[in-house]
This record gives sequence, structure tokens and C-alpha cells, in this order.
Amino acid sequence: MNRVVAALFARAFFLAALLTAPPAFAQTAAKPAPLGDPRTMTFDPVTITVPEVERVVLENGMIVYLLPDRELPLVTVSAMIRTGSIYEPADKVGLAGLTGIVMRTGGTARLTGDQVDEELEFLAANISMGIGGESGAAALDILKKDLPRGLAIFADMLRAPAFEPAKVEQAKRQALEAIRRRPDSPGGITAREFRKLLFGADHPLGRESTTDTVSRITRDDLVAFHRQFFAPNAIILGVTGDFEKPAMLDALRKAFGDWQPQPVALPALPPVAASAGPGAGRSVNILRRDLSQTHLRIGHLSVKEDDPDYFALALLDDILGGNSFTSRLFRDVRSRQGLAYSVGSRIAPGNAGPGVFMLHALTKGPSTYQALSSMLDHMERLRQEPVSTEELQLAKDAFLNSFVFSFADSGLIVGRLMGLEYYGLPKDFLQRFRDSVVKLTKEDLLRVARRHLHPDRVIILAVGKDGDFEKPLSNFGPISVLTLKPGG
Amino acid sequence: MAQRLLIVMIGLVLLASPATAATLEERVVQHRLANGLTLLLMERHQAPIVAVNLTYKVGGVHEHNGITGVAHLYEHMAFKGSRTIGVTDAEKEKPVLEELDRLAEAITAEKARGAAADRTRLAALRKQFAETEAKADGFVVPAELATLYQRQGGVGLNATTGKDLTRYFLSFPSNRLPLWAAVESDRMANGVLREFYKEKNVVLEERRQRTDNSPSGRLHEAFAAAAFQAHPYGLPVIGWPSDLDGLSKARTEVFFQTYYGPANAVLAIVGDINQKDVIALVEQTFGRIPARPPSPPVLTTEPPYAGERRVEVEYAAEPQILIGFHKPGTGHPDDAVFDVIESLLSDGRTSRLHKRLVQEKQLATSISAFSDYPGAQYPNLFVIGATPRAPHTAAEIEQAVYEELDRLKKEPVTPRELEKILNQIDAAQVRALRSNSGMASRLGYFQAISGDWRETFKQRDRIAMVSPEDIRRVAAQYFTKSNRVVATLVRPDKQESESKP
Repeated sequence: MNRVVAALFARAFFLAALLTAPPAFAQTAAKPAPLGDPRTMTFDPVTITVPEVERVVLENGMIVYLLPDRELPLVTVSAMIRTGSIYEPADKVGLAGLTGIVMRTGGTARLTGDQVDEELEFLAANISMGIGGESGAAALDILKKDLPRGLAIFADMLRAPAFEPAKVEQAKRQALEAIRRRPDSPGGITAREFRKLLFGADHPLGRESTTDTVSRITRDDLVAFHRQFFAPNAIILGVTGDFEKPAMLDALRKAFGDWQPQPVALPALPPVAASAGPGAGRSVNILRRDLSQTHLRIGHLSVKEDDPDYFALALLDDILGGNSFTSRLFRDVRSRQGLAYSVGSRIAPGNAGPGVFMLHALTKGPSTYQALSSMLDHMERLRQEPVSTEELQLAKDAFLNSFVFSFADSGLIVGRLMGLEYYGLPKDFLQRFRDSVVKLTKEDLLRVARRHLHPDRVIILAVGKDGDFEKPLSNFGPISVLTLKPGG
Repeated sequence: MAQRLLIVMIGLVLLASPATAATLEERVVQHRLANGLTLLLMERHQAPIVAVNLTYKVGGVHEHNGITGVAHLYEHMAFKGSRTIGVTDAEKEKPVLEELDRLAEAITAEKARGAAADRTRLAALRKQFAETEAKADGFVVPAELATLYQRQGGVGLNATTGKDLTRYFLSFPSNRLPLWAAVESDRMANGVLREFYKEKNVVLEERRQRTDNSPSGRLHEAFAAAAFQAHPYGLPVIGWPSDLDGLSKARTEVFFQTYYGPANAVLAIVGDINQKDVIALVEQTFGRIPARPPSPPVLTTEPPYAGERRVEVEYAAEPQILIGFHKPGTGHPDDAVFDVIESLLSDGRTSRLHKRLVQEKQLATSISAFSDYPGAQYPNLFVIGATPRAPHTAAEIEQAVYEELDRLKKEPVTPRELEKILNQIDAAQVRALRSNSGMASRLGYFQAISGDWRETFKQRDRIAMVSPEDIRRVAAQYFTKSNRVVATLVRPDKQESESKP
């Protein structure tokens, strides 16, 4: 019975799509004639009607988004918490991450950590908890029948984690072992070193934990970090799945309602030294490792997510290296020159701090120079000449025709609204994104490329065996040799 | 890794209750084309999108030394197009590609003379090759296949090659299905191996990334090679570099003709579709492809052996260990028992190995057990892999693992542990329905591996039947020293300095 209701409900969301996008294949398939040339096939546009998501603010300031979806007997409650490793003290880098881990493993006021694990795993329920750079995230994923029990444990974990000393020790030991193993992963080394170069090794967005900073962290630090940031007024909840809104709100009030709000002060983020600012030239950084393949990154700081040019930059990125198979970097560096299996570009717009625009590739030592040179040429070309009409059309079509996947399930829809509110972006951000992309011209992209892409002052990082490079990279700029610090 | 996901699936794909089992089973429609292609369909109307998964019963297990890597290289080639896609003029392209192949084979033959190779001739051939390759490039319409899909909103276009299966998949707005049917049936019937020699270089880069510069990649390659002396499960799917270098296009073409027939394919489509319409569409497109002779069976079986095999891999990295035990393949009655043992040992924080080695003794940072390594179809390995936590060693881990395995032989597993496993399996089955692509992948996997997509449900029932005595018997029978293979990653004696001045 539920299933029928669910099907009707889901259809209602997409009524417009059903009306405006009749299944073209039904017409085609009715006649046994060949389908014809796939290049010239046309289809009705897919339009989507986004379901209405309810937003409620509880009396203690906790924000709740609710979107019932009755397809399956499951409920998901996810949380974004206003915290992050950017707020941890410089001499205790790793504290935020450890706090998130031990909130999950270290028990609650009512249950030991082992009891929590036993109960959740027996119910086949999942609770995840973690604190990243600019936010904390937690989620409960549970069968509907077990929701009351799961929600009680989830709320206890957020409100009253016990931080059992043995679990704190265990988490610290695991973190120290992870630091010991960092040199084994060239990809990990490259990612961390590049962030240090971009933001500065001491900046909260660039720094990394070390044996020293982790060893210094105590259980009291975790308790204090939790107390400082975890409050109902610093949390956005998103609830999806099989529930009735009034009953769910009652359950949430029961779980969180008597949690008193408190002022949460977020330490100010220090400014980032203008590593790619005007006047600064290119820098070439080499980290010598005994590898047969060089990890290459090229990039600089970039726009924040609310920058009006972000949409155009995102489309430029698709054309340059964001789209698999069809982007310039994939077609040239991979398919035409056979220099890489992994190659591409990425725009990561900033929120708390600046964003990053970067190109990346892995290529054998003796083609490092060639790959780097090609990638820089592609970056420069975006500033020199407009993209072709076909490229622009493909990038737009790919974006617009796959737009429906942003609404593929209720979790995606609610998760996006939570993120937009968390970062202070308008709730119709995605719609604005879409409307902007429709209007973009080749001239817009050229203007934005000239304004925001700076191949003349990129940071270049090459992790590999420079003795194997076919030519020295000094042609690209002054070389600095980086070293990995043990325990760092 | 897709392979790992599939392995886990065997253990986890199941149902919440007999009632939903019936509902779910009723929702899947199976249709077989005259040419042997199997079609599986499931309607799911949550959004106007659809996921397709085309699984071919071909993989590394169909290779032998000399042509290792051919299945995976072909998977890459399948994105280069057909006689009509990816090319300006296939008629004019053909002789140029043939000339290129002649030159490539001449180069391979000359190189094979080793020290006696004529360097002047080799240089001349290479020059000619480069010129001819440039000529061939002139006919290429780059990435046309992917362009057709992306322009119409296709997402997640990709493919994977494993030991048993090669799988092609993507999702797109559901009213675009005719485009996909036209393109996909075309590449099944009319694949053209263009940009073949360049793509070998791409695959060699993939190998450097996944294997040569990865501590675990190196360990796994050596472990499988030590475990299987005769059976092709011991060969690397990515290929030995020298095999890739020497692999001819003619040999690759034969491989395609042999294994890519419609009867070797399972097509699973899940999403906002109308089953009748899709059957008609698939008949109209894939139905036109002529049947091919059945592909030859894998004849080699691993001869029974007794005696532990141990291999050390030297690499400048922190230690890792893999412990494997030979076991039967898909369809054997003990298969479900191994799935239960896998869950018991390493699914979740309360699993036995995690609890004992990671939490209590704190010997390891991570430990996991996986049944069906490195493939599922043929007799394979039950494997336990772990990373020691310094100062603890791989030897200490090995000892502690054997103690846990001995417990399985001696103490009966508690009913609560078994109930927990079933609860998790049932919930995982419900969660599987959240994703069109996940469901398409499951249906296709079970149909291809065991010949029946209903195995997703039957496996659950078999797991429910597993008794504590079954577990004790299987542990005693298989987890023995003489049935064991162990690989450890160790630092070379004279460790090279990490960064030379």
C-alpha cells in the first residue's frame, strides 16, 4: 500500500516532466523502422518540478528541513554543524577530526561506545560523525521501525558524547599511524603539499596535523572543542524518508527540544597571503620521490562560491578539463598524446576562504615536461581565443540536460538546501546557476578567463623523480625543492 | 574498487522480508533475445531518469601470458567509436589503420630480435609509424561517442574490467533511451580499434598509477601470482607491461570477436521506463546483431597442491599483509558459509577481527576479510588483509588472525551473531533500491556470474540456513596452513633515501 502512495507522490513531483517530456522511445519503438543517426536525434527537454521542502526552526534555534519520501521503509537524519578544523588551535591541528571520530566511538551519557556499536549493528543502522575543514557532519540512516531508538542514540551522541579515555587514546594512535603512512601515498602527498603552497603551511586552510600536534591533544581538548561548537542553534538538520511531518517534528523536539542554545563564537579566519596575487610570478616546486610517474598540479587561488563569475568559470572548467572524455585536457593530453590516464581540471569555489582553480595529471617521468607544457598551453589558450561554438554548446547541453540528476533523490535535494543555508547562499542558487549558464556567451567566457585564469602566475607542483624528466622544469619558472618532514 | 564492491554484494544483496521479496522479484522483467542477449528491466519512477548497465561475460580470466591486459585494453577501445561514430570516413580510414598495424607488427618483430635488432631499420619503421599514425588521426572525430551521450545529459559514463566481467554503464534522462540503444548496439556490433597504439600508453600510465607506484597494488599483484600458478586468476587484469607493449591489434580484434557476442551480454535497465517499450526498442536495435558462436570455456584449473606459499614484496613503504586460503567458486554449497564468515570476521566495528585486532590488541589500523578474491566465478581465495600499527609487525597480525580462525574451528558461533548478519543483509537489500545504477549493477552481476538474477534472493535464503556447525566444519577444512598463501610488504634491506639531494 505504501508503495502505491509513494509512486503517486513521486509522480506529483515530476508532473511537469511527464507532461512535457513524453517518452520518445515509445513512439519510435512502435514502428520497427531503424532508429536513424544518433547524431541527429532530438528529444523533448526534461523539465522538473522540485518538491517543496519544509523548513522549521525549533524553539532552541535548531533548523530542520523535512522532505518525506515513502518509497522505502527507511529514514535518514543528517546534520551540518557549524564548526571545522579551521577553528582548531594551531598547536593542536587534528583536534577537530579527533573530536568527530571519538564522538562516534567514545560512548554517550547512557551507553558505552561498544554498546552503541553493538546496538546499531544489530539494527543494521548506520551513524556517521565527522568534522572536516569548514563544517561538521553527522547522519543517522535507519530502518523506519527502529527510528525512535536510533534517534535517541544519535541525539545523545551529538549532545552528550562521553569521550571514553580508551577510545580517545585509540583514535590518537590511529591518527599517528596514519601520519607515519602518509609517505606511502604519492597522491596524498601531492594534495597536502599543494594546499600548503596555495594557502600557506601555517594557514588553517593549508596546514596539516603532525606527530607533534596530535600527540599534544588530550581528552580535555576534545571535551572543550565539543562544548565550544555543539549547540542546537549551530545545527541544521535534514530529514528524508518514510515519515509523517508532524510525528517527525514531535520526535525531534523530544530528542533535541530541551537542549539549551548557547552563543557560538567562530574564531576569525586569518587572511590568506596573496600567493597568486598580481606581481607574483610562477613558482615551480619539486618534491623528489622515487616514483616512475610524476604527480602534477598547476593552479592558483580563485573565486568564492557567491562570486558572480563562478558560473562562467565552472563552464570554462568543464571545457578545459572538468568533463570526462570530451574536455580539452582529456582529448589532447590523454587521448591524442597518450601521456596520462588521469588528467583534468577543477574549480573548487571558496566559502570560508578563497577557492582554488587547478589542473592535474599523472604522467611518466620522461614526459613530465611535455605534459606540463601542454596543460599550461591549454590554460593560456582559454585567455587568448574564445571557445568554439560547438564546445560552448556541448558544455551547456551537458549541464542543462543532466540538471535533472541534481534532483534524483530526496537526500540530494535536502542536502543541497542545508549546504546553501550553512554557507549563506540563496536557496535558489542552483536555479540561478542554471539560468546563468543558459545565457553565457563565448565572449563572457573569454572575459572571465582573462579575469580569473592566470597561467603566468600559477603554482606548479611536481612530485616525482626529477632525474627522469626529459627537460628541466626551470623553463616554467624558478624552482624550489620541497622536502617531506618526518612526522609531518 | 568495483571488484571489491561486487564481492561484498554477494554477501549483502538480500531482502527485508518475504513480502518485499515477492514485490521486488515481481518488479523485475527478464527477456531473452533470439541472438542470446539477456535483458533485465525494473521500473522505478521516482525521477525521469534511467540507469543502464551492460555486462559482458569477459575479463582477465579469459587471458593467458602473452595477451594479458587485452580485456581491459579493449574496454578502453570501446570508447573510440564504431564504423560510423568517432570517424569522418571509415572507408578511407581503413587502409591507413591497416598500414599502421603492419608497421607496428614489423617493429614488434624487429624488437624481438633483441641484441641482434637492426637499429637503423627500427628507427626508420618508427618514423614511418609516427607519420602514418598522424595520418590516421586525421580521420578521428575525438570523443564523439562520449559527446553524443553528454550532450543529451548522460552522466557517470564509464566501464570497469575485472577478472570475470567487463561492465559498461551510464545514467541519463529516461526519454533519451533510443539514443543509447542506437550507440550501444552499434559498438557491440561494429567496434573499430582506432587510436589503439596511443591507448596502450594511456593504459601503461594507468598501470603506473594503480600498480607500479602503489604499495598495495604491488602486493596484490604478487599475491595473486603466488596463489595461482596455473589458473588465469593469477594474472594481472591491467596486464604485464611487456604484454601490453607487444599486443597486436589483430589479437585484440580476435578477442573482441570471440567474447563480445550478444549471448555473452546481460543488459540491465532500471529507472523511469516502460518495460514493454524498452523490450521493443532493444529488439529493434540489439536484436539486429547476429548471434556469434559460444565463447570457449576456461579450461585451466588450479591443480590441487599442499604446502604454504609465502611471498615477500620489497618496497619502501610501511608494512602490509595479505593471507589467503583456497576455496571453491560460485555455485558450491560452501559459498554461503564463506559469506557468513566474511561478515562475522570483518563487517563493522563489532566484527571479530576488527574488535580483536584493531580495538583490543591495537595491532592493526585496519583489517578486512573478503570472500571471492580475485574473482568469483571460478575457485578462488578467502582473503584477510591488514595494515599493522607500529611498532607491531605483520608477523604479530598473522598470529592473531590465526588465533581468531582457530576460534571458528573450536567455538560455535552464537545465534545473535548470525541474526545480526541477517539483519544487515536484509537492510542492505532495502538500501540497494535507493539507486537505479546500484540496482542495475546487482541484477546484471548475478545474471552474468550465476546465470540467474534471482540469486540475489536465493543467496539470502542460503545464508539464513548456515548453521554454527557449517561454520566450524568449513573453518576446519579450509583454514589450514597447507592451503594458505601469505604475502607481506617489507622494506628493502638497504632503504633508499626518500629524497636524494
